[in-house]
Amino acid sequence: MILRAGAVVALALAFAGPAAAACAHPRTSLSYLEGQVMCPTCHTTLDQSDSAAARRIEAFIQTRIDQCATADQIKSELVANFGAGILAAPPHKGFDLLAWWLPLGGLAAGALLLGFGVWRWSRAQMPEDRTPPVDDETERRLDELLARLD
Amino acid sequence: MRTMKLTGQVVALAAVAGLLGLLIWRLTHQSKPPKIGGPAPAFSLKRVDTSGTLDLASLRGKPVVLNFWASWCVPCKGEATMLEQASREYRSQGVVFLGVDFHDVTGDARKFLEHHGVTYPTVQDGSGAVADRYGVSAVPETYFIDRRGRLVGEHILGTVVHAKDAFRRGVEAALAS
Repeated sequence: MILRAGAVVALALAFAGPAAAACAHPRTSLSYLEGQVMCPTCHTTLDQSDSAAARRIEAFIQTRIDQCATADQIKSELVANFGAGILAAPPHKGFDLLAWWLPLGGLAAGALLLGFGVWRWSRAQMPEDRTPPVDDETERRLDELLARLD
Repeated sequence: MRTMKLTGQVVALAAVAGLLGLLIWRLTHQSKPPKIGGPAPAFSLKRVDTSGTLDLASLRGKPVVLNFWASWCVPCKGEATMLEQASREYRSQGVVFLGVDFHDVTGDARKFLEHHGVTYPTVQDGSGAVADRYGVSAVPETYFIDRRGRLVGEHILGTVVHAKDAFRRGVEAALAS
């Protein structure tokens, strides 16, 4: 009886072992990477493609996940294999940085232009100060009057 | 105020000129499929079957059968045996068969070559840039290049198994010049 129970436990461990093999870091998932990787033949992300090429790339990703590869490692390997175009979002380095900063720069420039335009428009709406300048003589007389009032 | 207005106009003009430049660059750099009789687009790609790279220019002086394929492509499996047999048949006449693995995972490509017993050199076009220069729309596609590096024969869209005559004519055209 004890032998049989031992054998069952050993078998269960043998089958459960590889599946539950812990990674040194949180395991990434296929669904997470599917939205970040492009199908090279259909030019959509993997999660939107059912092409043969997309399915092979998904199989590759799943194999690497099972081998405890991180998302960054898998993406680097895909870039080495397929080029940077395999990633849905351009990398945050080199010339590709432009793709990130240009839209932000455009937004900032647009906001500045809009602000400047509003400022100019609001100034144009203000009534002009049409009071003639006070000459020295009038100013002196005004000062005298004010002094008397004190 | 006048200076600011002028600066704004210059910036706007520069932006428009930049966008126009980008458009012109894109239009002039669009890949056009090569013409039969014209030079075969040059390339140097990483080999899949072994280490190192292979430059198409290194095959100048030899007729070349250039076959674009992928391990995930079902018709490519169907033609692999025929291509291997043809490569053995024409080897003595100096014809070089060259496989170009297109948009593929390296490990899958190697398994494919092993499974189908492909012995001729194969390079990898992972990004599809070379296939793009050749105007490849889907795999398999086969081109024939003569000794002078010109495209000859007719380029075969789809499996060569269903285009045996065109395939033979292509190899002969490559051998003839």
